[in-house]
Amino acid sequence: MTGYADYLAGDPVILTAALTGGVHGKEANPNLPETPAEIGRAAAAAEAAGAAVVHVHARKDNGERSFATERFQAVDDAIREHADDVVIQHSTGGTGAPDDLRHQPLRTDPAPEMASLDMGPLNRYDHLTSENTRGLVDSLHAEMVERGVKPELEVFNDGHLNELHGLLERRDLADPVYATLICGPGTLTRPRPRNFLNLISNLPDGAAFNTLGFGRHQLPFAAMGVLFGGHVRVGLEDNVYYEAGELAESNAQLVERVAGLARELGRPAATPDDARELLGLRGRAE
Amino acid sequence: MTCPHLEYRDDDGRFDAPRAYCGAADRFVQAMRADVCNDRYDLDHATDCEIFRAHEREETDAEADES
Repeated sequence: MTGYADYLAGDPVILTAALTGGVHGKEANPNLPETPAEIGRAAAAAEAAGAAVVHVHARKDNGERSFATERFQAVDDAIREHADDVVIQHSTGGTGAPDDLRHQPLRTDPAPEMASLDMGPLNRYDHLTSENTRGLVDSLHAEMVERGVKPELEVFNDGHLNELHGLLERRDLADPVYATLICGPGTLTRPRPRNFLNLISNLPDGAAFNTLGFGRHQLPFAAMGVLFGGHVRVGLEDNVYYEAGELAESNAQLVERVAGLARELGRPAATPDDARELLGLRGRAE
Repeated sequence: MTCPHLEYRDDDGRFDAPRAYCGAADRFVQAMRADVCNDRYDLDHATDCEIFRAHEREETDAEADES
């Protein structure tokens, strides 16, 4: 899906809820879920609001980052206690974490149906860079293939589109290629509609895309994603506000708003099974 | 060695578990920054944290002014 004609077709829009993230936490918004139990309940509420996919990171009890398989397992188990159908997508991101830890989220039982794959470097704070070398990208992709995990290719800027095309030259990716186009501050694509359209027009033929605007750009980019035939990611990982000066009450609140917007624009929210079919996922392990 | 400005506080019960607090910035820090404060992995607060570096510069400047 790569254009307005695809919007007119009225296909379901896959809503991904990025529930927790690994950068900010309850110090930014006390409603952000951090523990496995909180993430599990948030996943169920997000699914009820229209999310087909939940994108999760794992944290320690004090909110700090964890890359351990065991902690991702606890998150998945908690999600399955409350939401037995939603597609689980693990993050493999991790600024400053060694490469071997970046593989850990792929090793739960069962493996997640999807996992993120960052396409290249991005700056963090003033003195850090998340490197995401091609070597790491290839090794993560190889393990995803081995474990039946669909990669969600995270394109933080248009240079990362070159990296995506390079990945396709180096490795075989199952159809459809699924890329998240990320717009916002810093290393990200500058959040302007024409830049977003440029990203879409430079995707590989047949690719499907997911739309992610950071902070105040979350809602307008969600609307553009719906109109330009893409899918949409929202959630407290990317934006802690519902509107200017008002913290969001929950991930579900953000999902519900975009599900309503998509419905009004003629595209229903995809169910988890719709998402599995559209993205060619392996399906939930029983 | 962790950052000398790092403390763990629960803010009088605001948080269920004590969280990383930066005494130099006088605020709770993000999860990712807490790894820098703790010098986890290959991270090092002395080189990777702009708050620590700015605080060090301020202290050095203050000492120079006094001398």
